[in-house]
Amino acid sequence: MKLLIVEDQPKTGHYLRQGLSEAGFNAELVADGTTGQHLALTGDYALLILDVMLPGRDGWQILQAVRSAGLEMPVLFLTARDAVHDRVHGLELGADDYLVKPFAFSELLARVRGLLRRGSSPPQESALSLGDLRLDLIRRRAERNGQRIDLTAKEFALLELLLRRQGEVLPKSLIASQVWDMNFDSDTNVIEVAIRRLRLKLDDNHDNKLIHTVRGMGYVLEERCD
Amino acid sequence: MRRLSLGSRLALLFAACTAVVSLIAGVLFSRASETHFIELDQQLLTSKLPVLRQLLAGVDNRAALDARLPALQAELRHQPDLALRISSHEGQPWFDSHPNLPATPAGSGISTLHSDGTDYRSFNTKLTPDNASSAQLTLLLDITHHQHFLQRMQHLIWLTVGLSALATALLGAWAARSGLRPLRRMSEVASSVSARSLTTRLPRAQMPIELAELAQAFNAMLGRLDDAFQRLSAFSADIAHELRTPLSNLLTHTQVTLTRPRTLEEYREALHSNLEELQWMAQLVNDMLYLAKADHGLLVPNREPLALDEETDALLEFFTPLAEDAQVRMRRTGQAQLAGDRNMLRRALSNLLDNALRFTPADGEVNVGMRTTEGQIQLSVENSGEGIDPALLPRLFDRFYRADPARREGSSEHAGLGLAITQSIVRAHGGSIRCESDGGWTRFVIELPVGG
Repeated sequence: MKLLIVEDQPKTGHYLRQGLSEAGFNAELVADGTTGQHLALTGDYALLILDVMLPGRDGWQILQAVRSAGLEMPVLFLTARDAVHDRVHGLELGADDYLVKPFAFSELLARVRGLLRRGSSPPQESALSLGDLRLDLIRRRAERNGQRIDLTAKEFALLELLLRRQGEVLPKSLIASQVWDMNFDSDTNVIEVAIRRLRLKLDDNHDNKLIHTVRGMGYVLEERCD
Repeated sequence: MRRLSLGSRLALLFAACTAVVSLIAGVLFSRASETHFIELDQQLLTSKLPVLRQLLAGVDNRAALDARLPALQAELRHQPDLALRISSHEGQPWFDSHPNLPATPAGSGISTLHSDGTDYRSFNTKLTPDNASSAQLTLLLDITHHQHFLQRMQHLIWLTVGLSALATALLGAWAARSGLRPLRRMSEVASSVSARSLTTRLPRAQMPIELAELAQAFNAMLGRLDDAFQRLSAFSADIAHELRTPLSNLLTHTQVTLTRPRTLEEYREALHSNLEELQWMAQLVNDMLYLAKADHGLLVPNREPLALDEETDALLEFFTPLAEDAQVRMRRTGQAQLAGDRNMLRRALSNLLDNALRFTPADGEVNVGMRTTEGQIQLSVENSGEGIDPALLPRLFDRFYRADPARREGSSEHAGLGLAITQSIVRAHGGSIRCESDGGWTRFVIELPVGG
């Protein structure tokens, strides 16, 4: 998947490219708006990450050029200013998402993946699984190693999210937003507790732990061989 | 045009007023005295008439006149400033008692004449009244000294006007200067105000009534400035203080890690630990930006119709894991509808719930109640448990304030901005929030207008 990052701050741009490349994307970085717009229009990218303030042409102008050229790829904005009218302006122009600096890279990665997935229709699976964990989406049942696990509705939703995006580090804010529809900054440790309770039901009696905490970044569901 | 000082303006106005008043008085006085002199002269002249008529009775031609001249001249000598001219009814001069008498107007009555440096009051009449062909008598009174007196008086009036205007200008300048002294004092205080000395106040008691209001407004402005400034500097100090701990952790940890080669695991551990500190700092900065936006009135809630009870239920569900962990029961009672911003209100309520759950002991309760009365929604979040010292209640919403000093730095979660943010959100919706604590319950009460 080819992504274009237009970001004029060298350090930020460099780390974004490194992070996205290591996450399996083919990320290109340019530091000015003029080149950025040229590449965006000609480069056949799956997604654009644009800084708002850029030398040459700013992020809004690039977005306008892209949309008026009939290109439909998702566009994610990065900005240092959390002004309401900026956000409204961006959404009016056809931006798909919006991140305010400072943001966590895990948050960016999760949003990028979400945006890329959005285009394709979600697979209509009836069950999800990882190792000996199986989630029956129709009967709303979870079992591990053949043993039924009793989950509350929200625990089930949380596990479903982790399973659907297995291998991805999911930041707490994303979990709160996807499972509970809580879309605000919060320093509450609800998610920690919810994960701990889910882990208690899921992993406690098993040597092969599936839910892992990535400190400072979030949670990931995956099989680790160590 | 150059702007005049208030003092000069007042002085000039005083002077102009005095000049106008004394000028009017002077003009009236000189008119009155002139009229008075004319009356006196007329009386004097008419009083002479009977004698003259008697002396000249029957004279109807020049020859008849000559016969009477000696008696007439003897009579006229009694009064040296009186001159007499006798002329025919056609105006033909017959006799002038004095040389160089001015030409006199033809009509009868009194008039004032001027000739060769001498002023006369002349009085025309017929020698024999009711006889059309009677000779004309013209009595001329030398009034030069009267006129001199009047002229001197006019000079005096002009001098008085000028001098009194000058005097009032000077006195007015002095009066204005001393009258405006409170104003000058005010400007001295105003100019001495700086970021360092916002505590100076104008003494209202010593101010004249007209300035007391201004002084009060000025003092109130200083008060607000002082308050805002204090809070700003306390806020900056707090920010520095809050950031110092994680920064020093980051510095120390990074430096210690780098002092000698370590295993991969140790490096990873160091980075994770740094990441936690950094995230805490990022959260702090975001929260402060949020508050700064609120302070600048940039926190504009989206108005959408919301069922507050449904929002509360969603939040209670969100907090269920925490509550179950802490063995606290949560309950919602009542219903309310309003137009507000879903995410902002959820954030505000979530801070209150999070706060309540932290301070509720095991087996305690958290209740959210709401009701609508007269277009006003009252929403309360209460929790059982040890109350809060009433003295601390007003400070709860201060930034970085923590009622419990024990929960402090290092506990990486709460920076003490939650309640301040809640307050900002409630205010952005046009509402208010307060906290009360009694009888083993702590209660946060939010009042919101239904319209949002």
